[in-house]
Amino acid sequence: MPKIKKSRVGVRVDMTPMVDVAFLLLTFFMLTTQFKPPEEVQIILPSSHSTFKLPESDVMTVTISKDSRIFLGVDNQYVRSKIFGPENRLRPEVEVDIKQLGNLLVQARMASPKLRTVVKGDKDAEYGVAEDVMDILQKTNITRFNLVTDLARD
Amino acid sequence: MASVDTAAPRGHDKKKKKRRKMRRIGIRIDMTPMVDVAFLLLTFFMLTTSMSRPQTMEINLPPGDTKVEVAESNLLTLRVKEDGSIYWNMGIDRPQKVDFKSLRPLLGQKAQQNPKLITLVKIDRKGKYKMMVDVMDELNLANITRFSIAPMQDVDQRILEKASS
Repeated sequence: MPKIKKSRVGVRVDMTPMVDVAFLLLTFFMLTTQFKPPEEVQIILPSSHSTFKLPESDVMTVTISKDSRIFLGVDNQYVRSKIFGPENRLRPEVEVDIKQLGNLLVQARMASPKLRTVVKGDKDAEYGVAEDVMDILQKTNITRFNLVTDLARD
Repeated sequence: MASVDTAAPRGHDKKKKKRRKMRRIGIRIDMTPMVDVAFLLLTFFMLTTSMSRPQTMEINLPPGDTKVEVAESNLLTLRVKEDGSIYWNMGIDRPQKVDFKSLRPLLGQKAQQNPKLITLVKIDRKGKYKMMVDVMDELNLANITRFSIAPMQDVDQRILEKASS
């Protein structure tokens, strides 16, 4: 009888180290994670071999969607409320008309001169719109900008 | 499972001694739910985190009002039609069609032959944005850093039509 009772205790595995490691990883991921800002439209990026990384802050994004709509986004709330009005302060991107784009770009640059301009176009967007956007950028004296791309695998 | 045994406090009087004996058994807190939640969060963060930031391609445009004179022999024109087919020509030669795959060797060869080469890229307005990025990527890969983008005009359309017929 006592023999049976002894085996009943079962094998006890000490889980403490595993749980320790799990918590360590959890803290690591919680601290390093950066949530992707929600986008107004889904953009499928074209791929390229360029390995230049996107700057982390002070970015002004001009997004061109597949159906040729243009969105302007700034990653700074202060600038955002300045150019789009306080009610749009929390929206990451605001749809703009191509005719207003030049004006808004100038305003944004005046509010924060160190903004870097980034053009994020959908792979299947019409080239004509991209050409117009680049034209506007050139006219507003933003002659240096970046195109967001995915890394090509081949 | 992980559990916590609380060390019994050391008492002096008899009353506490009795208590101590009871505590000896230890309070076992079942940590299983906490660890479960921890693992759930861990998987969530591991799956949602994106380690790599997107790549970008840097472009420098000349200021609006500059005009550069280019000798015809140094000018390579790339024209991209609406359907994505690419035509190239030197100076005012007749445009020739080139496969996207053979564009890279062609550009490399041209860039080596003529270090002063300037490339002009003309893309149809109805084309895709991807074509522009692809062509610019090829130019960058061929080490051609001096290129410019120009709008496709009716003249170009006619030249292309003549070349493809």
